[in-house]
Amino acid sequence: MASGNKLVIGIADMKMTQSGQELITYALGSCCGICLLDPNIRLAALIHIMLPLNMETGRKNTMKYADTGIRETLKMMEAKGARRMRIQAKVAGGAKMFAVNNNSALGNIGQRNIESVHKVLRAENIRLVAEDVGGSVARTLSFDPSTGMATIKSYGIPDKVL
Amino acid sequence: MIIKNYQELSSLEIDTLREIGSIGTGNAATALSGMLGSPVRITLPEVRIMGYNEAIDWIGGPEPVTAGVLVHIGGQLNGIMLSVQPLEFINLILDRMLSTTITDYSQLDELARSALLEVGNIMISTFINALSGLAGLKVELTVPSLTVDMQGAILTVPMAEYGGQTDYLMTIGGNFSCDGNELPCRLLLSPDIRSLNFLLRKLGVEDG
Repeated sequence: MASGNKLVIGIADMKMTQSGQELITYALGSCCGICLLDPNIRLAALIHIMLPLNMETGRKNTMKYADTGIRETLKMMEAKGARRMRIQAKVAGGAKMFAVNNNSALGNIGQRNIESVHKVLRAENIRLVAEDVGGSVARTLSFDPSTGMATIKSYGIPDKVL
Repeated sequence: MIIKNYQELSSLEIDTLREIGSIGTGNAATALSGMLGSPVRITLPEVRIMGYNEAIDWIGGPEPVTAGVLVHIGGQLNGIMLSVQPLEFINLILDRMLSTTITDYSQLDELARSALLEVGNIMISTFINALSGLAGLKVELTVPSLTVDMQGAILTVPMAEYGGQTDYLMTIGGNFSCDGNELPCRLLLSPDIRSLNFLLRKLGVEDG
């Protein structure tokens, strides 16, 4: 999945850059993409999480979950000199792809992802500056660390810039 | 043997699942053939166990738009079944059923959407009926739902559903061909792991 010189983030994945290179993650359905940026040192990270809470015993795949994914990324950013009070977050995703009344115990995964992301960001004292969440369309999220702008492309509706 | 992840499946168990896929897809092909009014054949069904990003590459990248029909399976077997319908397949259906074709998904009107939903629903239901008859399982299906969006996001629905159990996506399914042309439509069953154990036991597959 080469797309120019953008860094591509897969599912349950995170990439961090200080070079100003653009970050992109494709087709966020019920998943959430979380952009984190410390503008002072121009350190940016994009996380693609799939589920709200990590309840695995081994906790191997931290980036699959909102709680462990965000906390782990913040730790890694701080190790590179980022400061929590400067970090800004932008969030996209959490859609409901199919209009089914499923009676599964999981309920609406998208909605629960959004709530979990909000909760974790608040608990970690990270400022959420903009978001485009919920609804029923998939989103491709690209994040330009040099401007701090997040662009959201969806099928059938105009692009949005956060 | 109770498996905890897909990698523990023995080759005998995989063969059994492939056979189920074959019977299910075969029945779905017969149903499709009835709806299209021409013979439909199936290719050898596949059982795939893929990492998330591998699965996205396999289906053809995250961003291409397709139509997808989704049904949740409950009762004695839990899982998600998807019918992925790219434009070419949609046009075949619309041409035969409604004598119209489209060049873009935005041209799908209410009637066309309902036709696609029903075709997906019938194929999924025949597949599951064949499977539940074979294994003697009581299975309930939810009302089907259609969406037109990026295929990567459609495929993450079963991934997210079972994401708490596994880092992999398992799909059982095959491809169809009609009048010598391969139909780029996929019928995919993603069972949850507990149901998979139950299904294999019901079919009498012991650890091989």
